[in-house]
Amino acid sequence: MISSLRRLFESRAARKLRRDNGALVALLVICVYLLVTIAVMCNAISLNDCSQVIGPKSAAGFFLKELPERRFEIARTSMLKPVARALQNSDPTAALADVKLGRWAVADKRLTQLQKIVSDAIAIQHELEKSENLDQAPELEPKLVEFERKTAELIEPLSRWDRLAQNAAMLLGTDAQGRSIFFRALYSIKVAIQIGVVTAVVSVLIGAILGAAAGFFGGWVDHCVVWLYTTFSSIPSLVLLVVIAYAFSASDAKETLLPVYVAFCATFWIGTCRVVRGETMKLKQLEYVQAARTAGFGSARILFRHVLPNTAHLMLINFSLLLIGAIKSEVILSYLGLGVQSQPSWGIMIRDAGNNGDVMSGFFWQIGAATFFMFFLVLAFNILSDALQDAFDPKHL
Amino acid sequence: MPLVEVSNLVKHFLVRGGVFNRVLRQVHAVNGVSFAIEKGKILGVVGESGCGKSTLGKLIVRLLDMTAGKVQFRGQDISHLSASELMSVRRKMQMIFQDPHASLNPRMTVGAAVREVVAFHKIVPKREIRDEVDALFAKVGIHTDSQEKYPHEFSGGQKQRVGIARSLAVNPEFIIADEPVSALDVSIQAQVLNLLMDLKDEFDLTMLFISHDLKVIDHFCDSVLVMYLGFVLEELPCRDIQADALHPYTKALLGANPVADPTQRHELTVLAGEVPSPYDLPRGCPFAARCELVTNQCRQEMPPLVEKESGHRVACWEV
Repeated sequence: MISSLRRLFESRAARKLRRDNGALVALLVICVYLLVTIAVMCNAISLNDCSQVIGPKSAAGFFLKELPERRFEIARTSMLKPVARALQNSDPTAALADVKLGRWAVADKRLTQLQKIVSDAIAIQHELEKSENLDQAPELEPKLVEFERKTAELIEPLSRWDRLAQNAAMLLGTDAQGRSIFFRALYSIKVAIQIGVVTAVVSVLIGAILGAAAGFFGGWVDHCVVWLYTTFSSIPSLVLLVVIAYAFSASDAKETLLPVYVAFCATFWIGTCRVVRGETMKLKQLEYVQAARTAGFGSARILFRHVLPNTAHLMLINFSLLLIGAIKSEVILSYLGLGVQSQPSWGIMIRDAGNNGDVMSGFFWQIGAATFFMFFLVLAFNILSDALQDAFDPKHL
Repeated sequence: MPLVEVSNLVKHFLVRGGVFNRVLRQVHAVNGVSFAIEKGKILGVVGESGCGKSTLGKLIVRLLDMTAGKVQFRGQDISHLSASELMSVRRKMQMIFQDPHASLNPRMTVGAAVREVVAFHKIVPKREIRDEVDALFAKVGIHTDSQEKYPHEFSGGQKQRVGIARSLAVNPEFIIADEPVSALDVSIQAQVLNLLMDLKDEFDLTMLFISHDLKVIDHFCDSVLVMYLGFVLEELPCRDIQADALHPYTKALLGANPVADPTQRHELTVLAGEVPSPYDLPRGCPFAARCELVTNQCRQEMPPLVEKESGHRVACWEV
């Protein structure tokens, strides 16, 4: 095991790969993504973190300064309004205990104190409301800051760890439902990689075994496999994906990733099958395979010990290509609402961003975060699979 | 009883294509070859490339299925044995391949490749496999420590030695050596030939030695089969080929051999013309188109293989 690993490390292909700086950077990026995936799998970010409301709706991330009109809106609606309403309740203490916005709760103050803060704040609010548009009234800026400070007094200060967690969650702002975009984008990495890896492994295995069997045995086995993949590849793959996803939409498996896996594996094995079949036809003529025959070995042994291991480089390249393909298709399917159902996904984030018309009104951080995370993952895998192809190509120096 | 007896062996490759995979034409690779090898003897097969030498070898070990004819091994007809029945025969019949670079699995260490064969046929109990393979490697002259190396770390000659070790691993009685030295440097050729010679005595082997080099055959074999376009033209003992050769094609082959001694320098006789296409064979003698002694009869009728003296058969109307 160790010796074969060392051999892999010292092989010509690995040496060529190590000389390729682009490939090394890509590998590093992929490792970061994998680390995030592992962290998410260890529940560093739970599904709950992604679906919980953590702050005001459609809040901007750290890199954007909110316009005064939005700041006013956020300060007015996030705490002041619910607290004011709770204070008018017949049982204000109980009502106040129910007022929550993510980690924020109402400050632990006496009712009279709260009453005072609210009436002060509402006074400032009325002054601010006189202006048609706060964005064009820079002279009201100090008043707005005072209003924000006042409403902040209604909030119980967070402990140091909670504040850190809150800042992390708010890093890229919130979506239209007040959920953390950052966490959702990170969680989507796990969803994407999980779908990519599972689909790529299963497709490569199916493709390699069918392709090797077709190329090795020839005859009717070959005819069947070729018929199967020409039939499958004559159906537009996205249409097939949609049909399969629909077929599952009534079943219990709808909420899981199973429909996505089935849809992808049904079409993705074709490419691998084709190249492995061709390579097997070539290998089967080689003398070491004939030597294995004269030694009396059975077909299964020859296929699995002497033919398939020599197509490993093709499987590796196909694996990385299929991985990207699966991730991209997952995003498309999820965007159409047919892919991932009960988890965050970049596709869902992009759809949400578009649906609410938010992109048009300058609310781009949701679509931005989704595409940013997806872009670097796909780019890194593209560079890596290119480098792998070069590394395994004997004619490429 | 000869160890191996081949009678009337025929192999036609079908070229398929077009609509419904019709048979478009046939390549006549081997056309009615018969011979016998006594135990302990080495029979050489010589001929130009494409004359069916390698096909003949592969037919005998059943790597290819014959179109017609019969192969008998120790009196048993093996031409139609099923895969499982072939197993026991394969233990006794091995092949050494032409290209040492292609004859070893690049993803297996050479030791593992040989051990796999020993383990598969249960030649020795499990615990002794390693010792057995060590001994084999020692016999073919490969350092035992090199067993954990991969084929690409060896030279051509060393790889061929590993290939020889692998075919000897099952303790065969009969070995088909398909141009075992033609891919090697001349200096290495002699080493490998001498090794084969030693191993033949040690393992009491019988051999079919395929080559295109008459000098090598003369040095190595007990008798030689001269093939042309899938036909046997002459079979003669290797006592003094130069003097004994009767068939004009054999003589032409001998004449085309350069001699390393300047005092013996002679004009190289180079055959004119081309080998006829194996797709459609000529009606008469396959060599008629290039033969000096050609007559009308040669063009009309294939001469039978006639025994001129014991062990010397010739297929020619004119000798």
